[in-house]
Amino acid sequence: MPDIFIAEPTTETAPTKTDPLIDDADFQTPVSNAQDLSPQNPVHLFSAFRKDPDGVDFSDKEPEEKIILFIRRSFITNVRWIFFGVLLLIIPLSLPLILHFFPNPLPPLSGQFYFLLTAFYYLVIATYLFIDFISWYFNISLVTDKRVIDINFSNLVYKDVAATKINLVQDVSFAQIGAIRTFFDYGDVLVQTAGTLDNFTFESSPQPENIVHIVEDLIGKHNELFG
Amino acid sequence: MNFLAKILPFLQFSFLTKVGFLAIDFFFVLFLIVALRQVYAMNEIISGSGNPFAIKLTAFILLLVAVSLFLTALVIL
Repeated sequence: MPDIFIAEPTTETAPTKTDPLIDDADFQTPVSNAQDLSPQNPVHLFSAFRKDPDGVDFSDKEPEEKIILFIRRSFITNVRWIFFGVLLLIIPLSLPLILHFFPNPLPPLSGQFYFLLTAFYYLVIATYLFIDFISWYFNISLVTDKRVIDINFSNLVYKDVAATKINLVQDVSFAQIGAIRTFFDYGDVLVQTAGTLDNFTFESSPQPENIVHIVEDLIGKHNELFG
Repeated sequence: MNFLAKILPFLQFSFLTKVGFLAIDFFFVLFLIVALRQVYAMNEIISGSGNPFAIKLTAFILLLVAVSLFLTALVIL
């Protein structure tokens, strides 16, 4: 009997769902061309909150581990150091005006030295702004389908990476105190862990209520699957 | 003698200021080397969280400017 339809052999393998914690909606078929390989939901330089981020990787990430939340402090928390930085940049520009009204308190040194001093001053201010920026940039909290990871980095000298498994998380809550935090929708998220393990605090996180819902949902799914 | 007594405090101040400036600039270069190393170390821990190239480039430019300033000060002062 002649064949009516012969299926063409496919090169792509059928998709397999490896992680039971990942939603069916998140589960996508393998990409077929190079264009689709580009990150669909990338984390930008100033991103503070991203759900299901693409392209983020950390040092001891397991191959099948999926990052669900990427959190930094809300960008509005940077306003203070940006304001002081700009103020410090403006001060030398207004110095000739101040010296016009008051006697010159500076000692008589060469013009070359004053030039170097000014250049050094601006270098220090630029470094101050840079250090404050990377303190924000590298202060990251991650929620994966297996773990909660908190990377603390401040003022170049303090670096701390802490992680706990999802099944050890007992409770998640948030605090949003003050008009500014309410207006800009950011607050502290507290992740309480079992026993003597350290608790995690995602300080000044954007959309804290959303974060709590997502983590609670994750814990619920984990408990359903693994008891 | 009278002339030396007048000019000596200024010379001492000037010399100390210049040496002090060079020392501070040198320590600042060391500080920026630490900053650059920390940026690279943090990019090893977490990658893809923004624009690592821009961060590394900024740290490198700051270090380059600090070294240039130190060498210029060494020559000029």
